[in-house]
Amino acid sequence: MTALTPLGLLALLAALPITAAYFLRRRQPPRVVSALFLWRQTDQLAEAGAKFERFSREASLLLELLAVVLAAVYLADLRLSTPQTAPHVVVVVDGSLSMRAKSGGQTAAERAVAVVLAQVGRTPGTVATVIESGLKPVVLAGPRADERRVKDALSGWQPNQPAHDLAAALVLAREMSSLKEQRVLLVTDGPVPENLALPGNVDVTSVGKALDNVAFVSAQRHDERGLTRVTLRVTNFGTESVEVPVRLTLDDGGVREQPLSLLAGKSGVVRLEVGTGGPIDARLPDDALVEDGRLTLLPASDAPVSVGALPGLDAVAKSTLERFVAVAPAVTSSATPALGVGPPGSSAQLTVGAAPPLSSFVGPFFALKGHPLLDDVELGGVVWTAGANPPGRPLLSAGATVLVSEEDDGRLHFNVELARSNVQRTPAWPLLLMNAARQVRGRLHGFPRKQLMLGEDVRVVTRAQVASALVGPRGQKRQVVGAGPLVLPPLSSPGRWVLTEDGTVVDELEVMAMDPHESNLTGRGPFEHVATEGLPLASEAAQLPRSRWPLLALLAALGLDFALTASRRRRPAEAGVAS
Amino acid sequence: MSFDVAAVERAAAQVTLKLPRVPHRGRVGDVRSASVGSSMELHDFRRYHPGDDVRHIDWNAVARTQELVVRVRQEEVSPRVEVLLDASKSMAVSEAKGARGKEIAAWLCSAAQRSGLEVVLTVLGATPRRSAGADCRTALLSTVLDGVEPLPAVLQRAPPLRPCGLRVVVSDFLVEAEPRPLVERLARHAAGTAFVQVLDDEELSPPRGLGAQLTDSETGEALERRLSDAVVDAYLLKLEAHVAQWQLAVERVRGLFLQVSAAAPVDVLARRELAALCEVA
Repeated sequence: MTALTPLGLLALLAALPITAAYFLRRRQPPRVVSALFLWRQTDQLAEAGAKFERFSREASLLLELLAVVLAAVYLADLRLSTPQTAPHVVVVVDGSLSMRAKSGGQTAAERAVAVVLAQVGRTPGTVATVIESGLKPVVLAGPRADERRVKDALSGWQPNQPAHDLAAALVLAREMSSLKEQRVLLVTDGPVPENLALPGNVDVTSVGKALDNVAFVSAQRHDERGLTRVTLRVTNFGTESVEVPVRLTLDDGGVREQPLSLLAGKSGVVRLEVGTGGPIDARLPDDALVEDGRLTLLPASDAPVSVGALPGLDAVAKSTLERFVAVAPAVTSSATPALGVGPPGSSAQLTVGAAPPLSSFVGPFFALKGHPLLDDVELGGVVWTAGANPPGRPLLSAGATVLVSEEDDGRLHFNVELARSNVQRTPAWPLLLMNAARQVRGRLHGFPRKQLMLGEDVRVVTRAQVASALVGPRGQKRQVVGAGPLVLPPLSSPGRWVLTEDGTVVDELEVMAMDPHESNLTGRGPFEHVATEGLPLASEAAQLPRSRWPLLALLAALGLDFALTASRRRRPAEAGVAS
Repeated sequence: MSFDVAAVERAAAQVTLKLPRVPHRGRVGDVRSASVGSSMELHDFRRYHPGDDVRHIDWNAVARTQELVVRVRQEEVSPRVEVLLDASKSMAVSEAKGARGKEIAAWLCSAAQRSGLEVVLTVLGATPRRSAGADCRTALLSTVLDGVEPLPAVLQRAPPLRPCGLRVVVSDFLVEAEPRPLVERLARHAAGTAFVQVLDDEELSPPRGLGAQLTDSETGEALERRLSDAVVDAYLLKLEAHVAQWQLAVERVRGLFLQVSAAAPVDVLARRELAALCEVA
């Protein structure tokens, strides 16, 4: 008999206090009496019991001692025979999308699985830990899974990750190795990037092949007044010129096709205008990597934002607002608006106006770079008359005067006296208002962006007191915890994802399998790298997985003990006498 | 369970205290006192001593005996009731016991006042206090049962007992001492004495089968016991013997010993166990 973790035998020490607790006299609950002398008796010592009382709960004690022994057996990993070791293989498989490139009827991912299974099946009893690389490495099988479990785990594996660094997966592989010196196998589809410093104990084998591929590299959809403009950029990642038809399928069943001639390594753009408001499927002919030639463009999130003037707004501001609503897309006028515009000092979502003393500025204007409210806003030639500084964080200022500010709750303040400014006659003014409307739209319920690239964070606005979840194209479900505007980690696979609330679909988005680096298969191909140090790949240092039967037996013993103790308590209660 | 004023009033409304058939001492009233005074009722004759009121000289006797003889007349007094409440911690082992002790004392005071008697209440606690008349009720309401000394020791520090009245002692009398000296002392110079023993329900009938660390409420001394049938039976025997000793000692001074359970309300006790102290009005 051998204990593989001898320190676990220390658990046996728990038997001492347990036994002592059973034999030691129990401390009785305190009770105050008026006359203690009436309770004293000549045979008091005998009645009270000595330091040790008669042992009367043998079954319970024996069960608890058995539990201690079982715990020690489990922790010490006690084996009846000599240590049974099994070869342990740690493999990192490249999880990038390019692994789905097909050649000769087989994808690189399928070849990678074959390599892993060959390693596991080389020696009977071999166990394996398989890690998929990605933005966040994931353990696909294991730790120390046997051959059958490895097969099960890899049977439906579909790599979907965008281009990523392999280092994180290799670090995880090293941590999951039986020994630090154990070698790790990396299965990928091409040479490792030059910027990746391979540890000395990593073997690399490539199952990829250099292939030609044509792929979408960008896609845009713009919906305006019933007209949809689609712009698609297609790149020929091949060594020869090709002519490919780009095929668009509309939601009404209509098909548009546009041929595109592409030189080797060059891109071309397809622009189409269609009159549909529904999803549009774009397809390229199937090639080595099918996934990057298919995408769906969902209608943009252009839910109309209601804008309205609140009481007290001056006439000039009201007039400019009416002009803006009349021409701005996806903006409506409402008496109870989502974007209420009011005078300074009001509780409106946006205040327009200035409180004396007034000063006029022609520049220079200082803007908070990158803030969405100031997107595309040009202030050249603008005369801006402002008053006392409004509350909130300055977004735009001139000298010491804050022209535009934002409060923590999202309220905006335009410190401008329009009667003495010309900003309302420049393109900056509708842009500012449009950006403000867009900010309000961004806080509306659902996905602010309907199209995401692989590996992009997901922005979503959820409601409180409902169970929100994201459901993927293959039925995979991810619970969304929290309410309000949230930023979630990237979604795991390309395709259509829906947002559900209490099981009801409320919005959807499309994750597009577009990544030029992954679509470019020309640089893939055979690659081998042999580890310069470390133990053999299938290290013999790993032992068979720890047996779980002692743990189960321990739980059974504790359960039985609990049942025994409970029945002992119940019995006196039923008889009306406490024991 | 707190001091039930309504129950006390209810109990006191229907009864008057029974007074002993021996002379009293107290305020001027319509009950004859043991002391001489100036009522119309003749008590005795004696020789004149300088300082005696010359108006009390019985000139007929002088004529007959040729000696100066004065009439001694009995004083008319209103009887006094003195209530002694044991305010030691042992009276507070349970809320019911503490409340019942105070309620019985309040009932006695109230019934005496309704009968027009002079009432004195002495609370024998950590700091013995005496109240009289209408202050008794207030004193009882504010009484804290915090005494830790045995009853004989508290009596040493208490104000002197008033002679010649009805004296009622409310306590649990669970004192580890010979009761006879204490009873005699409590009965000394009183026209009549009553000892009301208030015991908690668990003191009269302790639960059986449990284990407990018994702690004395006053000394803090602890004793760990399993309350087996044998132990509880032995306790009950000792309690019975202890009470019997007290009853014997009280009988010797011609007093009245009444045992009540704190579990019963005071108005029920007034009709049952304490009925010997009063008459229905």
